[in-house]
Amino acid sequence: MRVKISYMLLFMLPFFSDAQTRQMTSSEISVFQQTLKESVQVKTLSADFVQYKHMNFIKQPITSSGKIYLKQPDRLSWSYTAPFQYRMVFRDNKIFIDDQGKKKSMDIGNSKQFEKISRLVSSSMRGGGYDEKEFTVSYLKKGDANMLKLFPKLQDIKKYIKEIVLVFSDKDTQVEEVTLVEPSNDYTRFILKNRKVNGQINESVFNL
Amino acid sequence: MNRYLIFSLLAVLLCGSCRSYQYPNAVGMRTSHQQEVNNYYTDTTHTWVYRSQIQAFGKDMTGHLIIRAMAPNTHRLALVSDLGQTILDVSVFPDRHELHAAMADINKKILVKELAWVFRSLTERRYVQNALIFMDKQHYPVYVVDDHFYSMEERHLADIVVTKNGKERFHVSFDDVQRKLPKNITIQHKKYPVAIQLKLDEKQSVL
Repeated sequence: MRVKISYMLLFMLPFFSDAQTRQMTSSEISVFQQTLKESVQVKTLSADFVQYKHMNFIKQPITSSGKIYLKQPDRLSWSYTAPFQYRMVFRDNKIFIDDQGKKKSMDIGNSKQFEKISRLVSSSMRGGGYDEKEFTVSYLKKGDANMLKLFPKLQDIKKYIKEIVLVFSDKDTQVEEVTLVEPSNDYTRFILKNRKVNGQINESVFNL
Repeated sequence: MNRYLIFSLLAVLLCGSCRSYQYPNAVGMRTSHQQEVNNYYTDTTHTWVYRSQIQAFGKDMTGHLIIRAMAPNTHRLALVSDLGQTILDVSVFPDRHELHAAMADINKKILVKELAWVFRSLTERRYVQNALIFMDKQHYPVYVVDDHFYSMEERHLADIVVTKNGKERFHVSFDDVQRKLPKNITIQHKKYPVAIQLKLDEKQSVL
């Protein structure tokens, strides 16, 4: 009897678990690639984000949240508002930091790795910012949503990131979730909310 | 002549390494009844999360330090940057450490070993039997075990001074201790330009 119940539970497990992930068919890939090409060019982006850092030895992820503003070609404001106040602005080849009122700036050249990771996250949030020369791309479906897995080819990035997972909204073609998986399999998931593409962004957002 | 020089050099080196650390104003040592010091991080059901600010070799970094007691004498500690990158993830045992992950830039054997030593001192529960004797009025007891000096204030651990070869190696200060847990911790390395400030994030901790 117990064995029967176990088999039944095993059979029913997929119905209770999250949306299943599968490889896209070649026709689905073509449609999705076309959608990406046709989707609106992101010149500005503002969004709220929630960040979850998962590690295999902790029961609940480390959570923080904040706001991101992007303006092409090279302006980025990244601020955490909870549970701490911390803001970074990338502008004119410099990083400006406001750590709870303590301000400082540094040349991007002094912190290339820091800049590389933050750029990677922000370009992922824009969606189409991947280059097939730099990444091996895998096309997937997660329920109704489209999903991309990017595997870095460059050694310089592979040292820090094992894969990037982008989940696109099934309502529009914008990215709503970014996951960065590290070589150790720890991962950080960013959920984007209240996305506004190509809206007006006040220049003062990039002043610090 | 050469042999004489070699022996002299060895003698100087050995004497130097045997030199013991002189704790300020201490004049001797007494034996006391055995007691436990540093029992802040012993509960294996808890996870402690501290907001961290690190100044190291002229660079600043902010993030979180996560501490978990895997067993009474085994702790796992991970330093994570604000952007979520794991800087260092290490398990510390009484006599060794095990590296789980380290960002490529800091994955140097000496650096990892030094940080594991700091983390071990920060979290390891010790049993002490020797206390220092002070010449003048003693405000607080200071216990000694191996190269660690544990000073107590109002029945809680306030400072750990860790020494090597007669010199202070690093200093850990526990402040604002409430319900047997320090809300603020300062770590100052004396050999390398490294300082770490930790502030308990109660919302993210599992207590």
